[in-house]
Amino acid sequence: MTEEKIRKKVREGYAKVAQQQQSCCGPSSTCCDSVNTADALAQKVGYSEQDIASAPEGANLGLGCGNPVALASLQQGETVLDLGSGPGFDCFLAAQRVGITGHVIGVDMTPEMIAKARENAQKGSYTTVEFRLGEIEHLPVADSSVDAIISNCVINLSLDKPQVFREAFRVLRDGGRLMISDTVLLKPLPEFIQKSVAAYVGCVSGAMRKQDYIDAIKKTGFKDVQILKETPFSLDCRVSDPTAQAIVNDFNLSGEKLKELEGSIASIQLTGIKRS
Amino acid sequence: MRRKLLDILCCPVCKGELTLNVVEENDVEIVEGSLRCGTCRVEYPIIDGIPNLLPPEAEDS
Repeated sequence: MTEEKIRKKVREGYAKVAQQQQSCCGPSSTCCDSVNTADALAQKVGYSEQDIASAPEGANLGLGCGNPVALASLQQGETVLDLGSGPGFDCFLAAQRVGITGHVIGVDMTPEMIAKARENAQKGSYTTVEFRLGEIEHLPVADSSVDAIISNCVINLSLDKPQVFREAFRVLRDGGRLMISDTVLLKPLPEFIQKSVAAYVGCVSGAMRKQDYIDAIKKTGFKDVQILKETPFSLDCRVSDPTAQAIVNDFNLSGEKLKELEGSIASIQLTGIKRS
Repeated sequence: MRRKLLDILCCPVCKGELTLNVVEENDVEIVEGSLRCGTCRVEYPIIDGIPNLLPPEAEDS
């Protein structure tokens, strides 16, 4: 399958999620049959109850690995860019942190997600949050104009992750922070999973080896690159996930093979600084 | 899209400045219009308040 086709599949997959208002595309989204489950999931990855309650209804589709640490570090007046903003959950929480003197910009390549995010912004009367349709590999954002970049379990979906990191570096100001969470691999995935597009859309087979991911960020020029938290993925909540289900059914996976898959994937929270 | 944020926008391909063309604007934002990159000769539409800044080749797919 060509890169363009994979990109299209990813876009289609998340368009469907946006329209159905249920999270069932990512392994992180897993336990996901209702919006309530999305809230429970958000809490599990570290968002406070207050955070979840304060965002407009429908803004949390339970799609992320969680990015609460990044949100906590934001200050009044800062300009924040969210890579792959989806329905806008993190953007709205960020907007509360940066206040009326700050700005939050969400970029997403799925029109349905952007439309939903905009609807959510209007619902919650957020005046400092803006969304634009764009690709994280080709950010429509001027050089050195952003204080903090956040991204929640999205970069794994990119077919050119080093390009995403280069773009992030370019748009950050000197001293600007990269604060992302993402899915990474702890060991190589079995080949049949690597080739599955469903697994790609579900944030599994597109993930990079952890060390390669860190090295790619360092190579871009980021300093003080640190992993703040690493959480191994658990399959117990993935039982109800259509992506995992499809993989299990398509490949006729035994419990043992599933266990093997479980030890291969983790979600990490990572920070880095642009410093000249 | 709000005018105030035009400063930090750029062309997704060449990173050059974009020229704003407003078709409809309300008290808050530009609702319909376009952003043009003179260098790339590409016009990015603003529809329902959302600028579409997907690179042209990605959009064709």
